[in-house]
Order: sequence, then C-alpha cells, then structure tokens
Amino acid sequence: MRRIALAAGAVLLSAAQAQTPVLPLRVADITGEAGPCGPLPPSAPAGQKAYFDLLAERLQTDVLNCPMADAATAAVALAAGEIDLARLDGAAFAPVAGKTRNVLTVRAAGALNRIPVVVAAAQGAPFRTLPDMAGASLVFGGPLKASLDVPRRALSDYGADEAFFGPQTVARDYDEAAVRLRAGEAQAMVLHAGAWQKLCRGDHPGEDRCQDLRVIWRQRPVADQAWSVRTDISDDRRFRLIGIHVALHNEAPEAFAWAVGRAGGEEFEPTEAQALLHQGPTVGS
Amino acid sequence: MRRRSGAILAAIGLGLAGCGGEAKTTDGAWQSQMREVRMAVRGSEDDPMITRRLTAYKTYIGKATGLPVKLYESSDFNGTIQALSSGQVDIATIAGGGYANVDAQIGDLAQPILTVRQAEGDTGYYSGLLVMADSPYRSIQDLKGKTLGYVDFNSTSGYLFPRKMMRDQGIDPDTFFGRSSFAGGHTQAVMALDNGQFDATIIQAGGGDPEHGFTTGAHFTMARRGVVDLDDFRIIWTAGPIPNSAIVVRTDRPQPFIDAVRGAMAALPYDDPEVWRDIGQPDGAAYTAVTREHYAPIIKLRAEDIAARRSGVRQ
Repeated sequence: MRRIALAAGAVLLSAAQAQTPVLPLRVADITGEAGPCGPLPPSAPAGQKAYFDLLAERLQTDVLNCPMADAATAAVALAAGEIDLARLDGAAFAPVAGKTRNVLTVRAAGALNRIPVVVAAAQGAPFRTLPDMAGASLVFGGPLKASLDVPRRALSDYGADEAFFGPQTVARDYDEAAVRLRAGEAQAMVLHAGAWQKLCRGDHPGEDRCQDLRVIWRQRPVADQAWSVRTDISDDRRFRLIGIHVALHNEAPEAFAWAVGRAGGEEFEPTEAQALLHQGPTVGS
Repeated sequence: MRRRSGAILAAIGLGLAGCGGEAKTTDGAWQSQMREVRMAVRGSEDDPMITRRLTAYKTYIGKATGLPVKLYESSDFNGTIQALSSGQVDIATIAGGGYANVDAQIGDLAQPILTVRQAEGDTGYYSGLLVMADSPYRSIQDLKGKTLGYVDFNSTSGYLFPRKMMRDQGIDPDTFFGRSSFAGGHTQAVMALDNGQFDATIIQAGGGDPEHGFTTGAHFTMARRGVVDLDDFRIIWTAGPIPNSAIVVRTDRPQPFIDAVRGAMAALPYDDPEVWRDIGQPDGAAYTAVTREHYAPIIKLRAEDIAARRSGVRQ
C-alpha cells in the first residue's frame, strides 16, 4: 500500500513537472493611469479586443490588460516581473536594460528595415571612431533610401548629423562611391551594409576587394520604440510572440492597427536585444 | 486492499485530469506532438558548402524550438516539392514555382510564411539569359534557332517566369529556339553552357537589378569557388522581378510550431547575423511575412503553363 502511495506521489510530481501550466501574458497598456492587471473591460476598443483574443488563442493562455501610467512605470513593472510585454522608448528602457530586452519594433509604411550602415575610410585615415570625424568629407553610395536616407538617419541617431561633417556628395552607386573615396575626393564613404558586402566580396576565391579600406563605424539606426520582454523569457514564448506579431498585419489587420499604437505602421519587425540604445560612442558624449 | 489501490489510482487519474483541465495547455505540449523538426533543403546547388554551413542554422532552429532538427537534403527541385507535399517534412525553403506546384497538390495544407526582403526593400530577383562572353549573341533575338538550356521544369527563374516574359515580348519559346532542354539545376546550366552544350542558358540573377548589374546567382557563386571565371559570361536579357523564395510550412502542424519557427527565422538576422550570412543571405536583408497572395501571379502562371501543355498548345 505504502509503495503504491509513494508511486502515486511520484507520478503526480512527475506529471506536475512535465506539464507546467502556461503562464498568463500580462500586457502593458499605457493609458496615463495605473491599475491592476485584469481581463479587458467590455468597453475596450474592438482592435484591442481582437489583439488580445488572437494572442490568447495562439499562446493558449489568458492575456491580461495592465493599465500603466507611462512607459517608465511599465519598464519598472516589466523588470520586476509584474508584466510580460510592454512598448517602451529609449528613456524608459535604459534603466532596465539589464533585465529586459527589445523584441519587436514597427516598420513604417514605405520605410526600410533598420539596416546596418557602414562608414569606411582608407586604411591610413586619421580617424578611428565616429566622434573623430568632425568636418570629414563624405561620399554616400547612392541617392536611394537605403543608400542615403537610412545612413543619414543612423548617423544622426549617433549625434553625427549633416552639420557635423564636412562636404558631402552622393555617388550614383556604391561602386562609384568607392572610386571617389579611393581617388581622394572624400575622406570617408557611407554605405548600407548590403552595399558594403557587395562592394567587398570578390568574384574569385578568397578575394576581398576592400583590403585598402577600414570600417570606422557600423550601426543600425536606433529604434524609437520597441516591444520589450524580460531577458529570462523562455525562447518558446519569445519566438512565438515574434512569430505572431510579424504576421499580424496579414492575419488580423484590426488587431495590428491597435497594437502598433500609431498610424502608418506597415509591419512588426524583430529587433536585436538593445535596439533602443546606442551601441557605441555618440558625438558629444 | 485492491479497492483502496484502485481508489488511489483513480485519484491519480483525476489528479492528472485536473492538472490538464486547469491549464488551457502546457508549455512544451506542442513539442511533444512534433518530437522533431524536419526541414527540406536543396543540396548540390551552386555552393556545395551550404549544407555544411547549415549546421549553425540547424542548431539555431533547434534551440529556438526546443526540438531536434533533421535536414532532408534533396538534389533536385522535385525532391523538396514532394517531401513537403507528402508531409515527409514540416518546412521547406522553396521558390515560387515550387510552391505553386505544392499548392496545386495540397492547397491550404501548405502555407508560405516568410520571404526575404532585401536591404533596398525589394522582395524579388531576376532571370538572366546567359551566354559566353566571346559568343556573337548580343540580344535574345540573336538566339533564333539556337540551343537553350532551362534549369528545371519546376524552376521559377530558370523556366516558368522567363518563358512567360518571352511570350509577352512576342517570342514563342517553344518554336523560337532550335532546341531546348533541362540542365537539372542552376549550376548544371552554367556548366553546360561553359562546356558548349547550349548556346545560351537561363539562370537566376540577384543582388542587384538590370540597370546596376547583379552580384548573386550560380555563376557568381561558382566564380567565387574558382570553378568558372565571371569574365567568360555575359547576361544579354533579363526577366523580373520574381517573388523571392518562400519558407513554406505544413499547416497541419501545431500552430505554436508555426509561430515559433516563423519567429525564430524572422529574428535570425538580428539575433545571429553570422548565421544569417552563413545561410547565404545578404547583409541588411531580413525576412518579412507573406501569404499565398504574394505568390498568386506565379501560381496562375504555372497553372496556365500546365493547361497549355495538356491541351497541346505548348510543347
């Protein structure tokens, strides 16, 4: 009898360990007024209801609404484990960056991904970092968004706006930009990472066409807001959250419109863990 | 005694039922349904190193899903198509024409979930008509009566799409060329051209556009491996853009699996840029979510091509 009871206990314990109940998802709703987490009230907007219903169905758990006064309060609550998902800005995220991470941002309609930008110069160039480049002449790798707008935005995010540099020209494409740099017509060349890769990748085994050049700076534009989770979130939940959100605009447009929180969003885009923060020295810092 | 034992066992049963009933589901429930992730990859493509490099990709997906990942290598287009259609694999990377074939076989049981969006925002690539640089051919019109190599019947850029564009430009590909045949793959098509088997061949061209030139495709990869010299070839005609290949999943797999794998793949260029490059994806590119609608023009094109063949209108 005792043996049976012990065996029964072991089975129950083992089952309890194997079948960890799914935790609810507590979503911050920054309303200006704090309140306890709970189910959505019947008066909730249809888009918010659609968003919560979809998350509940796909994560197979309860999704709770957590009214928050502001993003900073939401960030503290996220780090403390009181909520699980919050849209933060850089100022709110910075103090809790050790315990939380960014997972998603929104790509605006007609905008590009947050593509990395490369600033390169000749091996013997006198500058080593972006802040060293005050007054340096630049050549951009083309007039398109990816080759001009995104690089300018990324540089500006790090404090290096147009006024920081010297004369700036725009080449027809990355090949021409490299020719101008090598001819000494500019002190540095600014390309998006894809163009840099194309420029430097040779057509013969092991060939590197950029051995005479040096990367001074390589960064993505800083995100202005990002959906964030705790760093101890399980891979399963993090990737499922990302997988649900990146397809939200296709699968549930009304939910997507509410979730992005502002007009003009085209789709959710995954992010690196600290997309809201500078990843290196900024000009003037 | 026996009755008491039975009562205890019943209690265990109720307890388990209670555990199952209290939570809507359990973390790990979908993994126990799947047990492993089976992914189809094309082997023997223009870069034989790709399979070795896929090890890191396999590790990443395995960590993301919490499941062992098995890669199923197929040396031709049809292998991947049939593996996905028959349910032998859960997920595959497949070009638009291949997905159209899968769609014709199993419809909603397969769904494209992601495609690559390049740094410049494009989601397409091109077909190129490749000739030897020292040949006299300067335009497609110069190839009347000559021999042409296609890649594969199931190839989008190597068969389906360029034939449509030729017809749109008043060229009937079935009568314009003297002879045409299938090389079996992009690499084989380039090799056959290089060996003099064809006067021209259709290949995939990416990483650029007709105005600025291309940087990716079988002949570029082969040149970087030292197999051919790029200077030996010229592209004299292009067709496109063609929707980029899709990551296609079986929809009869658990939805949490589909969400997790879509999330993990979409996060890859941000989480692990080196693995992203290892699988041949360009810097600055990323995945974007797609639906069947994205490939609707290719699905229509393939259906028309097959209908014309069956009716005897086309060869």
